[in-house]
Amino acid sequence: MAEADPSVGKHGHVMTDRTEQWTEGQVVHDGLTIEPTDNVSDHAGEHDDERERGPGMLLARMAEAVYWAGRHLERAEGTARIVQVHADAHVDLPVGADVGWEPLLSIVGVDSEFSHRYASASTSTDARAAEEDVIEFLLHGEGNPSSILACLTNARENLRTSRPVVPREAWEACNNLWLTSNDHLAEADSREGRVRWLRRVIAGCQCIHGILLGTMSRDEAMSFLVLGQSLERADLTTRVLDVRSETLRGVGTDEPYDVVHWMAVLRSLAAYQPFRRAMPARPQGGSTLRFLLQDDRFPRAVNACLAEARTQLKVLPFSEDAQDACQTASMIVASASPARLVVDGLAAYLDELQQALAEVHRSVDTTFFRPTPSEWGQVSPVQ
Amino acid sequence: MLATDTPENDMPGLPYDASAHFDELIQPNGRPRPAAEVLWRHLSELGPAALAERQDAADREIRAIGITFTVYDGGVGVDRPWPFDIVPRIIAKTEWRAIEAGLVQRLVALNLFIDDCYHDQRAMSAGIVPSDLVTGSPNFRPECMGVNPPGGIWAHICGSDLVRDAQGNVLVLEDNLRVPSGVSYLLENRMVTKRVFPELFRHCSIEPVDPYIGRLANMLASVSPGTGDPTIVVLTPGIYNSAYFEHAFLAQQLGVELVEGSDLIVLDDDCVYARTIEGLARVDVIYRRVDDLYLDPDIFLPDSALGVPGLMRAWQAGRVALVNAPGAGLADDKKIYSYVPDLIRFFLEEEPLLDSIPTLRCSDPDSRAHVLANLPSLVVKPANESGGSGITVGSQASEGELAEVARRITEDPDRWVAQPIIDLSTAPTLCDGNVAPRHIDLRPFTLLGPEGAYVTRGGLTRVARREGSLVVNSSQGGGSKDTWIVDLEAEEAPQWPKPIPASVSTATS
Repeated sequence: MAEADPSVGKHGHVMTDRTEQWTEGQVVHDGLTIEPTDNVSDHAGEHDDERERGPGMLLARMAEAVYWAGRHLERAEGTARIVQVHADAHVDLPVGADVGWEPLLSIVGVDSEFSHRYASASTSTDARAAEEDVIEFLLHGEGNPSSILACLTNARENLRTSRPVVPREAWEACNNLWLTSNDHLAEADSREGRVRWLRRVIAGCQCIHGILLGTMSRDEAMSFLVLGQSLERADLTTRVLDVRSETLRGVGTDEPYDVVHWMAVLRSLAAYQPFRRAMPARPQGGSTLRFLLQDDRFPRAVNACLAEARTQLKVLPFSEDAQDACQTASMIVASASPARLVVDGLAAYLDELQQALAEVHRSVDTTFFRPTPSEWGQVSPVQ
Repeated sequence: MLATDTPENDMPGLPYDASAHFDELIQPNGRPRPAAEVLWRHLSELGPAALAERQDAADREIRAIGITFTVYDGGVGVDRPWPFDIVPRIIAKTEWRAIEAGLVQRLVALNLFIDDCYHDQRAMSAGIVPSDLVTGSPNFRPECMGVNPPGGIWAHICGSDLVRDAQGNVLVLEDNLRVPSGVSYLLENRMVTKRVFPELFRHCSIEPVDPYIGRLANMLASVSPGTGDPTIVVLTPGIYNSAYFEHAFLAQQLGVELVEGSDLIVLDDDCVYARTIEGLARVDVIYRRVDDLYLDPDIFLPDSALGVPGLMRAWQAGRVALVNAPGAGLADDKKIYSYVPDLIRFFLEEEPLLDSIPTLRCSDPDSRAHVLANLPSLVVKPANESGGSGITVGSQASEGELAEVARRITEDPDRWVAQPIIDLSTAPTLCDGNVAPRHIDLRPFTLLGPEGAYVTRGGLTRVARREGSLVVNSSQGGGSKDTWIVDLEAEEAPQWPKPIPASVSTATS
């Protein structure tokens, strides 16, 4: 369809009769020479090929949006998996042996928000009602800033802000996931529909990650996205371990339901199969802890998350402080003795580790996202 | 493609009455215009039920892609899916080439006029335009006097509003030179249409719309004050602006950063810098989608948080290019509009290639008397506003509304202009499962830089979805259509390569 015009040079710049007439007549302002449109038709591509981009520039505001998109997508997927696995494990346990639904609230860190919203329901003795309340709250509850739907909404808003630096298909997939999750909220009320709803969220998030991995340049924006994703993963893994530490302590009791608990911990982090392949022992406290903290190949193990975060930070400018914070967290992970921690001191240890992770985030935040206005002048202009 | 003589066979599934107005696709005798034949045959074969299915598919697609526009209701912005009608509007390529030439001519003249207003003011001294109309315009910026933007170009991007009257003449309704929007929807409409009617693009020779982005990138680069590879940014008021979708779309398509005022700073060297993760980076060209008055709180509205303190200083010093330049809006005033044909004659010594609509300025006592006496047959518009707000179509207004308009004109005549009501052309549009005529207009976009001009192939066709309505603005319930520039000659050519006769020597060609 694009017509080839041999009279147009490679730069598409041709002086025509009409232009000359305008300039010769002195009626046109100096320097304003116009080519009739016919002669500048669709040769834009040739120009583009010749024009090279300098080093990419990433706005601090965009970097922050991409970072948070990575975190929120990860949190949505992680929470969905934890809820789903918990529900699966729940049906395997006899009435009375299950741990109830409250641990889910602790993992996500919204206990107080929940009790604030469901103050009257907490006295209810009806276990099923409690389940429905907790699930609803975690999936899309009002007043829960970390509900799966809230995470998807935040991820979408952040991708919307950062549309210029993320692939279009990733934005479309996220928008679509947000729309369908909203459209099917009622479905999540039943146990059966809930499975579908959660699976859709998990698959949708994985789809977005797949698009990003397959189509996004490994540029600075990608680094911030992966950075957010890695830190969120590390954080989530420590939260799961923290809340499940009571269960983890059941070393050697060898009760059949212990194994159910173990498997649930691993499965809620999609770690069961990798654990089985990597660790000779069957699941028990020490080996689970070692795997989820110190493994360097499973992408949700804290050690691997921190290594990934460090890899991303290394390519970013002025990242020394954040790299140091990462290093500190890694050393805490490396120094842990899982066998001893299972017996005692796990909660305190995980507190320390979570503090260190928070420090990494703080360092990223101050370095890249919000230097105070007074620092503006101090940064030497690049280029 | 079988030729048949009977109209019934031509259109098996689509009854359509095109006799009331000038219709873009269908002639009064019920037969499609030549450029629309392939399309109309295809639509007829599909029939209303299949068309409704395609419309649903398009709506779903638009929702999933997230093509939205924001409407403000009681101060709260709500994202709505972009309203889109799947039946394309068609213009023959030969006619479009003539329109393109007219649009370029007009934009060149307007730029010469703007540059003149901020320099020698020859058009005012020669009495072509009253000087108080220019210097008294709310869009005239004294800060721009004597400034020389690259190539003398102030309005680099123009979104014109074109309409067609009952006789089939194309008329310019408005020149939008400030921050005209809509081009992203033009490009997205084409993408959706390709997904909805993929089969049609094989049978029609439709000019592609995508090259606009490349032309825009080149134009922006060409006005850079620096040498070497320019850094270009799109400046948006932010995520809550009604056109944010377009700002993000353009930045993404251009591969440049989308900045807000707070991302930029002007230092003592009068250069503009963006705050990046690597520190400050020099910015050469700002495609700004922020109105003049919000650009620089040092000069204009001091409370504006959307702008950048010192930006005007940087622009005046020639350290950054602003597209469009500040002050360009003086030429899209609806009162200036009535002088554009004279400005074309004055600056270019040419006759206007495109007609304008006769415009009565209520500031003139004779005109005002005529307007007040003929309100039911006129359109009354505020002289300085955009987006279709404040417009009263006399024939569709109640007596009470007309009385109110008359009161406002008498109170403040300078603010108002009036034009005859144009019987806008129609195009077939899906309405409640049937195809019915609805009024449309067209917004093409013209680029002008020191290296040349470019007009979008077609434009954004906007459609008034209510029967008989002439209001096409999307902010007021209007819809949109894909616009096809169809090359009839290419269509008649065979679809396969012609065998070259052995006896003909290629040297003679």
